[in-house]
Amino acid sequence: MTFRSLALSNVRGNWRSYSAFFLSSVFSVLIFYLYASFLNHPDVVNGHILSAAKVRDGMQFCLYIIMVFSFLFILYSNSAFLKTRKQEFGLFSLFGMTKSQLRKLVIYENIVIAIMAIAVGIGLGILFSKLFFMALAALLGMSDSIAFAVPLKAVWLTAGGFFALFLLISFWTVLRMGRTEIIDLLKASRQPKGKLIFSRWLVIIGALSLAMGYGMALMMDSYNFVILALPILITVVVGTYFLFTQLSIVILKFIQKRHGLYYKRTNMLIFAQLGYKIRDNARILFVVSILSAVIMTALGTVYIMHVQGKQDLVKSSPFSFAYVEKGLYTHNVINPDDLQRIVKEGGFSYDYEAKIVGIGLEKYSITFDGDTSTQLGNGHDETNEYQRNAMIISASDYNKLAKEQGKPQLAVESGKLTLLYRNFDKTQFGSGKAAGYVNGEKIELPVSGSIDTSVTNNWIDANSLTLVMDDLTYINTLSGISEDEQLVFYGYELKNWEKAAPIVEKLVKLVPDDMKYEVDFTRPQRYSELNETVSLTLFIGLFISLLFFIAAGSMIYFKLFTEIQEDQAQFKGLSRIGMTKKEVRRVVVSQIAIIFFIPCIVGISHALFAMRSLDNMMNTSNWIYSFVVIGIYVGMQTIYFLLASNSYMKSMLRGSAA
Amino acid sequence: MSVLRAQGLGKIYSTKGNVVYKALENIDLEVEAGEFVGVMGPSGSGKTTLLNLLATIDRPTSGAIEINGVNPTKLSDNKLALFRRRELGFVFQDFNLLDTLSIKENIILPLVMEGMAPKLIEQRLGPIAEMLQIAAILDKRTYEVSGGQKQRAAIARAIIHKPSLVLADELTGNLDSKAAKDVMDALKEMNEKFKATVLMVTHDPFSASYCQRIVFIKDGKFFSEIRRGSNRQAFFQQILDALSVLGGNFDDVPFARA
Repeated sequence: MTFRSLALSNVRGNWRSYSAFFLSSVFSVLIFYLYASFLNHPDVVNGHILSAAKVRDGMQFCLYIIMVFSFLFILYSNSAFLKTRKQEFGLFSLFGMTKSQLRKLVIYENIVIAIMAIAVGIGLGILFSKLFFMALAALLGMSDSIAFAVPLKAVWLTAGGFFALFLLISFWTVLRMGRTEIIDLLKASRQPKGKLIFSRWLVIIGALSLAMGYGMALMMDSYNFVILALPILITVVVGTYFLFTQLSIVILKFIQKRHGLYYKRTNMLIFAQLGYKIRDNARILFVVSILSAVIMTALGTVYIMHVQGKQDLVKSSPFSFAYVEKGLYTHNVINPDDLQRIVKEGGFSYDYEAKIVGIGLEKYSITFDGDTSTQLGNGHDETNEYQRNAMIISASDYNKLAKEQGKPQLAVESGKLTLLYRNFDKTQFGSGKAAGYVNGEKIELPVSGSIDTSVTNNWIDANSLTLVMDDLTYINTLSGISEDEQLVFYGYELKNWEKAAPIVEKLVKLVPDDMKYEVDFTRPQRYSELNETVSLTLFIGLFISLLFFIAAGSMIYFKLFTEIQEDQAQFKGLSRIGMTKKEVRRVVVSQIAIIFFIPCIVGISHALFAMRSLDNMMNTSNWIYSFVVIGIYVGMQTIYFLLASNSYMKSMLRGSAA
Repeated sequence: MSVLRAQGLGKIYSTKGNVVYKALENIDLEVEAGEFVGVMGPSGSGKTTLLNLLATIDRPTSGAIEINGVNPTKLSDNKLALFRRRELGFVFQDFNLLDTLSIKENIILPLVMEGMAPKLIEQRLGPIAEMLQIAAILDKRTYEVSGGQKQRAAIARAIIHKPSLVLADELTGNLDSKAAKDVMDALKEMNEKFKATVLMVTHDPFSASYCQRIVFIKDGKFFSEIRRGSNRQAFFQQILDALSVLGGNFDDVPFARA
């Protein structure tokens, strides 16, 4: 038996505990290769794929994240793995293996694992790269597909990078193995543990940090974000750490004192085992909780941004297509018949349409009584070349549209205007004055206040602001304006407008150049841009999240299997004195469930607070969407849990039957 | 009234190559309530096989067992586990205490598994812990106490649920002579004061001298039986005589008293 074959058989013998670590490593290599192969794809490098620029920076950033994460993950797994094998090393030393030989053995083993992980990872990467390219091409909206290619640079980058990483880490861990007496190595796994000790101060610090972090998260809005973000991050991380290392012990002690609960059949075994292992598990649970929180918050943010973006589009442009004509019967901007024809040819139909006659208030300027600093419009300074125009509509027209769009009805004070003003921070204006030219005459009208809605598209020059007037005054004013000077707002809401981007270009071509500021046809287009950005971000982010998720799970899995021998011995003893298989199963599965789902719950709690502050910042409420993301995460975690507990239970029974 | 009745008990191990090994052959054994019975024999005589059969961890290939009127070989795995837990108590050579539990939790485990109320559990534990002199170490962990204390805790666990039969397997095997004496004294006290019926397998003549009756087996078959008079010292001598007649290898007696 050569030294190398000893290393090989060690890997084979420890395969069960190696496997989760190995799979996660393969997955990191796989994802790294996929990103690298796109970035180094000949067509991307030559600039043939123009849209690649949209994702290049994001992917580059992901490569760094994967490397940093893999470094930490492999480092952790390696040192944890060596710890579990202390006894084995003690035996080797006992037989006279020198320290340097022992180190060589560990490095050999690591090299074997590294080569296998890299080979399998790149192999799978090459296999899946075409699929990855296809998905990317679809998301980038490219008409041609990206050709299959194996960029050598990507292969070398991945292989070299990961090999260096593995080697670096194994040298590091080997050097830290240090000097330990053989007797200690042999006794390693039998060292006393299980005393539940905590420090009152650390418990208080932990509880306070968590409370402070959560409190600050609740207070956070778009103004104090910059100041609060870092303290929140620090307090929550510190609090979570002490939650698992200290508070958990307090809770377990509390349970152990409640004899009614603790002395209830298998509960005693479950909680005693949890307490026994808490010191070893606390750090893992902490890391996994933070990872879960990061994954859920990140995915939740992207998802909420998407939903929010869509809502904003509909709010700022209530109609898919809208334009304003000057003159009751003129069609200078676009002919409605042409519009309808193009819509029909595109395979779309109207959900509803609106034709609103309005009064132009040119070069407007609005001032408010209580607030001298705010002024809307440029009318106060007539030398300013850029003048904005507003449109006045009747209260009954407003109410008709509002009803159609599910917005609140409005009662307008006679002779006064109500301002329709949508603002990011929901500011509402009080009474004031509106000045401007109606039909060439300068007039001034009182404003009673503003509401935070709009029923027409305001991305149109003649309608950059909408005011509502009571019906009587409106009719009186309108009757003094010739039909050629009256404004007409045309609005068309399509069914399936989300997919209408292709016909927008055709419509825009029909609008004369001097009229192009009188139309707002862009909602479908802006939506598909939003969609593309979000789905690209999700697509790239998803792999990273998946990597985090798998790594987090594999850390737990790994931890479980390092303790399986102890557990086997225990349950063998227990079944000898008459514990049924069902009870053994209950004890084992509940423990695994607690270890899997506690970090998940803590992560969810963190993510909910994070999303709550996101809501604060964006002035919205998106609980439903947060729960969608969390639900998916919990579902995936459950699948992982079922797989892990099944495989654990199987090897447990196999071991204890022998 | 007999607690244990075994008739014509036999166990044959056979491998795939049709090599048949008779570990136990036609053993009859009866234990009365409150009795303290020892089983002795040289290494490989089938002591452990017999104990495993009586402990219902293994099934006999022939013969029948009846414990407290129930034939355990006819029970399903699940019922068998419950049967072990309610009708039997175990004391093992390697203590078989859980590191994760404190001494007290280890002792009350059988009651907790049965779902007994915490108050009743405390009531049961008190006198037993007192008598076994382990009341002071109840809150300690297994690695904090000596071997003798561990074994006394194991005895407490074996009798706390008032089983019909306590089975002990080389319970002094891992102990020094002082601890062994303490443990045997404790077991005897349990037998006398709590009327626990004990069946003990051992090859240590000193431990065996605590029994009221000893059954010797050799090569898987019944060999002889001796009963104790009033004097333990004399009984000890009797056992040594019987063993010399029995012959065989007793090398696996721990060196502490070999």
